[in-house]
Amino acid sequence: MFENPEISLDELPAADDVEWRSLAARYIRRLQVQSLLTTAVATVGVVVLQVAPLPITQRWLFALAWLLIVASGVSGLLWPLVSVPRKGYAIRDKDILYRSGVLWRTVTAVPFNRLQHVETSSTPLDRHFTLAALQLFTAGGSGGDLKIHGMPADVAESLRLFILEKAGASIEHS
Amino acid sequence: MSTADAGGWQRTSPFAALFYIGKIYQAIAKNAVQSLAPLAAFLVAFQGDMKDKLAFGIGAFVLGTIILAILRYWFFRYRITDTSVLIRDGVFKRTQLDIRFERVQAVNTEQNVVFRLLGLLTVSFDTAGSSRQEGYLPAVRAEGARELRDRIRRVPKHVSGAADSGEGVERRDVTARTLLRLTAGDMVRIGLSSNRVFLLVVLIGPISEYVEQEFSEIVEESAVVEFLTQAQTGLMSGLAFGLLLALGILLLLFSISIAGAFLRFHRYELIADEDVLRSTGGLLTRHEHSVNRGKVQSLHAGQHAVLRLFRRFRLKARQASSGRAGRRSDFIVPICNGDLLADLSLRFFPQEFAGLSLDPRAPGFRNISPYYLRSRIVLAGVAPALLATAVLWNSSGAAALAALLWIPACAGVVWQKYRRYGVLYGQDGLALRSGLIGFRVVAWLHRKVQRVSITQSPFQRRRQLATVRIFLAAGSAIRIPYLEQGKARALRDYVLYRVESSEVAWH
Repeated sequence: MFENPEISLDELPAADDVEWRSLAARYIRRLQVQSLLTTAVATVGVVVLQVAPLPITQRWLFALAWLLIVASGVSGLLWPLVSVPRKGYAIRDKDILYRSGVLWRTVTAVPFNRLQHVETSSTPLDRHFTLAALQLFTAGGSGGDLKIHGMPADVAESLRLFILEKAGASIEHS
Repeated sequence: MSTADAGGWQRTSPFAALFYIGKIYQAIAKNAVQSLAPLAAFLVAFQGDMKDKLAFGIGAFVLGTIILAILRYWFFRYRITDTSVLIRDGVFKRTQLDIRFERVQAVNTEQNVVFRLLGLLTVSFDTAGSSRQEGYLPAVRAEGARELRDRIRRVPKHVSGAADSGEGVERRDVTARTLLRLTAGDMVRIGLSSNRVFLLVVLIGPISEYVEQEFSEIVEESAVVEFLTQAQTGLMSGLAFGLLLALGILLLLFSISIAGAFLRFHRYELIADEDVLRSTGGLLTRHEHSVNRGKVQSLHAGQHAVLRLFRRFRLKARQASSGRAGRRSDFIVPICNGDLLADLSLRFFPQEFAGLSLDPRAPGFRNISPYYLRSRIVLAGVAPALLATAVLWNSSGAAALAALLWIPACAGVVWQKYRRYGVLYGQDGLALRSGLIGFRVVAWLHRKVQRVSITQSPFQRRRQLATVRIFLAAGSAIRIPYLEQGKARALRDYVLYRVESSEVAWH
């Protein structure tokens, strides 16, 4: 293990001993609605292609398209039920933790003193469900910045202000 | 600070048009299809014979780029204030850049042959943060560049840490020390070890058939064939001829590569000047790059097969970048020996490099979990081989079993990669070794980490293993695969502790 004469590793606060806060339950419904909308658009597209007098001889293509639509529609309805409860975040004094993933599970930690800026964003569908996404930007960013979808809009906004306050000094310096 | 020379908006020298022509050709080379498509379409539509078409096409192309370059020069204005360089640029889309001195990581310069004769320089600024904040001043007078460099120098160190280069050959601090001067032998080594040669060989592979066909048609009636036939040499001579041809091509490629090394690194010097490392070199275009040690985020030492043979390394120091994958923000030492590598590591990360090393053979590197082998062989070896066998079984019968040979081949590669993986734990940082035939070692300091994550696949969860990803302000995430879960978590917690308790700036 490491040599660290100043502080014992066992005494370090463990990022796993936290109480995870889950995302808004309605985020599941929001994802399902989005999936239904996408499926509906795809269905209309395929129906139009099938009905239209086009010289398409390979009819099996339509069977494949229907199969894909049904599969993506069903998974779009079911997957959020599994994936959303696995997602969660925890705010500590000096960092924010975010966990996600059903099969491949990831826990990401972003220290406040490394934040470049924080923002919230919402799509029209998000706003319909009064949801928002909280996005945390660190320097570099080639690995993709941390974006937490499916937060209640008011929570996302108050978290943004809280994190800004926590990280304010370092943001001003960077 | 004096404001006497903080004048109004200025134009650069008209010779900046030359710089823009180069830029335009570079952009065209990068997006060859999109850039040349309109011209190609026009040529197809144009009525007339091919010669006219070509002459007209090339003429229009050259004229177009010249006009565009002149327009870009005409619309380019810059202004130097006490705290920043302001740049107005763009013909159709106007942009204004405000490059604040305290954000400038390095002032790099480039001087091609024409500019050298005219005493002009192209200055570029490396800045941390937004990708839009990267600017350059083409064809400014060397004197002006020197003034600018001095201005940036005057910005307090703890705020800027700005590095400079300029073409200030005259100015040398007492502390400046030359660490490396490349010799002609080094050029040959760089040329021989260039990855581009191997890339060319790989590229030539697929087109070799076509080349061979064309070549055989050309030489059908030639003296070579006549000679071969007359000598009644048959198969052996044919083979020897083929071998000679291959050798010739390889020799040509190596010669080109060595010439490239001379072009880029002629009279290369690496100079240490307090907190700044500076490199100069180049035969026609002289480049001067500099890096401030505080800005370096990670050090990458590479030693592929050829460099191993020469017992040399290539070092890359990555600075906080705008997130774009580009070499501009990398400070590269093209070739160095083990001693200089160790010396440079300590120069970049003084005091904090204790216990770390960029030498892949250094003691202390610990293996990752051997479960890595099992997981990779199953996923990349056994599963695809079985699938291929099953798919081919109906059509090919027992011959489909040949697909199973993929398993030992894959296992060999995975075993080699596993052996290369090694983690060296230091108190202030970490070094990760990886590779297949050669070695790559990347080292960084914990306090410079921006984010850290731990990922576990279902298999890893069963075996209490985890993969750690370290995100720095430069380059993509560094992945440390297959650590024991407890060790991975302890590492994550320790890194967070170091980041959150650090009072030293990461940049």
